[in-house]
Amino acid sequence: MPSKELIGEVLSTGSATVSAEHVARFAEALGDGNDRYRDEAAVAPPTYPIAFMAQAMAGGAETFQKLELNYATLVHGEQEFEYVRPIRVGESLTLTGRIGDVYEKRSSSGAVLDFVVLETEARDAREQVVFYSRNVLISRRAA
Amino acid sequence: MALDPVTVRVGDTLPALRKEPITREHLRRYAEASGDHNPIHLDDDFAKSAGYPSVFAHGMLSMGYLGEFLAQAGGTPEAIRKFRARFAKLTWPGDELTCRGTVTGVRDEDGVRLVDCEIWTETQTGERKVTGTATLGLAIGR
Repeated sequence: MPSKELIGEVLSTGSATVSAEHVARFAEALGDGNDRYRDEAAVAPPTYPIAFMAQAMAGGAETFQKLELNYATLVHGEQEFEYVRPIRVGESLTLTGRIGDVYEKRSSSGAVLDFVVLETEARDAREQVVFYSRNVLISRRAA
Repeated sequence: MALDPVTVRVGDTLPALRKEPITREHLRRYAEASGDHNPIHLDDDFAKSAGYPSVFAHGMLSMGYLGEFLAQAGGTPEAIRKFRARFAKLTWPGDELTCRGTVTGVRDEDGVRLVDCEIWTETQTGERKVTGTATLGLAIGR
């Protein structure tokens, strides 16, 4: 089970460049033909941060194990984004992911559900925040 | 057609977006593009061993559809200020999702009309799967 002592801890960091190819491929996978994801001065789709975080923070797998969630039953419960400004193709962003909260609930069937809230912020080259992400992970604790 | 910033009112309906039925090929392509390779979305044998009848869609695929829907409602993706989704029920291959929403609030801030919305995906049988909220910022005048 995840420990409440983890709250506030930095889970992973990383940086990467928002590539035109990755943004176009992501929009394609959604079947989203919006020209703003492909034209000159293109921006990224609103859920692109999830793919960018997976790319930029790769290698955080070991630190992720610190969470001690039951991976066999891990699900994504909620996702929230707040955009300070659009994500521009070609720019580099630095990500910092923290553990925002750890708590548990009992399901109607009596199982214990562990909740971990991951909070990530992305900053640009001038260290201005571009977006915030809040990701609620839920796993059923092994009996 | 996008929401009109001048006439938008609480209770208005956002223009619906209907997507084609979800296939395993969609899930494979989403896994590849998003970097989420969890076999629960890709491998039926794995999904069955975890107690599910088959693979099911990434929650973020549905949220991605809602993002396309919001960009259309706001006129451009840059209009989306806040976007939240709760993955209430699983979405299965064969489900044909329609993104829908209603306006729950309209307020002005720094010359921008902020439109709060309740949004959701629903299947061909009307079952709501992913529910959420969003705020769109629409330019008013110049």
